[in-house]
Amino acid sequence: MATTSTMLASLVVVLLPFAVLGSTCVSPDVKTETYTTTDGMASMDTVFVVEFSLKCKQRVENLNLYADIHGRTVPASKTNKADSYQISFSEEHKNLPSGSYQVRLYDDEGYSALKKAQRSGDGESQIKPIHTFYINHPGVWKGPLLQSEFVASMVAILVWYLAYTAKAKLQSN
Amino acid sequence: MSSKSAKNKQLTKEEELLLQDFSRNVSTKSSALFYGNALIVSAIPIWLFWRIHQMDLYQSGILFAVGTIISTYLVALAYKNVKFVLKHKIALKREDAVSREMTKKFADDKKMTKKEKDERILWKKNEVADYEATTFSIFYNNALYLALLIVCSFYVLRSVGPTFNYLASVGLAAGLLALFSTSTK
Repeated sequence: MATTSTMLASLVVVLLPFAVLGSTCVSPDVKTETYTTTDGMASMDTVFVVEFSLKCKQRVENLNLYADIHGRTVPASKTNKADSYQISFSEEHKNLPSGSYQVRLYDDEGYSALKKAQRSGDGESQIKPIHTFYINHPGVWKGPLLQSEFVASMVAILVWYLAYTAKAKLQSN
Repeated sequence: MSSKSAKNKQLTKEEELLLQDFSRNVSTKSSALFYGNALIVSAIPIWLFWRIHQMDLYQSGILFAVGTIISTYLVALAYKNVKFVLKHKIALKREDAVSREMTKKFADDKKMTKKEKDERILWKKNEVADYEATTFSIFYNNALYLALLIVCSFYVLRSVGPTFNYLASVGLAAGLLALFSTSTK
């Protein structure tokens, strides 16, 4: 009897890591596809949209993922494709200048650890994300430097000025 | 008696030239040139308000026609005024060069009398000054008209609707052009 319970206990001890590992992703293979806003004239905010596929060594269903971008944590939503997730993130144009943005992906466990670390205010960097990648944002186009009507006015005024000086020269005695 | 007074009233060729030189009237040819040019330059705003301010060409056809006609009249008036002011100045400036060139040209011609030579020089001077004043007046007024129009329609009347913007900017540009042309300075 004692041996049965010992065996059961040892089995649990041996199998427990696998059970825990079942909900975490081991050696993830992430493929990302990103979109960032480039036209600042037509849009109010800069948006980052990342669609990524996550393949783990073992089969993991319904994994809850969170992404930490630019000091904000956003949940990743599952898309209708298998193992495919999407994150979207938006801020005002001026808060997201051009550059490379680090995105850290956390699972439930990592996310709660991150929250805890954020609350206590220490060791945030020690929490290891399951994956890290970068979004390259080329910056938004804020429209032409000079408005076309300004250029047209300047050219017209310049031509008139030349005509005026020529006229003044003709009229001088 | 009557025939004598009629004869006296008849002007010599020289006097006619002199009168033509100082009159504000322009010849038919130069008048046609003025009105033709004024029409072209007055029609330019139609393009601006059709393509840039998105006005409908057919719906606003009457408005465009009225604006163009008024503007053509005022621009042609400005051409005439500026030409008149410039012609004398140009004649004075070019006088020496014209008479030098004409004297050189007639130097070999022994048959020509001095009076005839002077007349030819006067005629040439008038022609040169007339041509230069006409073309320069067209250039100057076109430049000023377009500058006024662009500034009016894009900046002064930026916030008003395109219909009123068209009428006001064309009216303002042509009106100011005609007003400025009356200055003799």
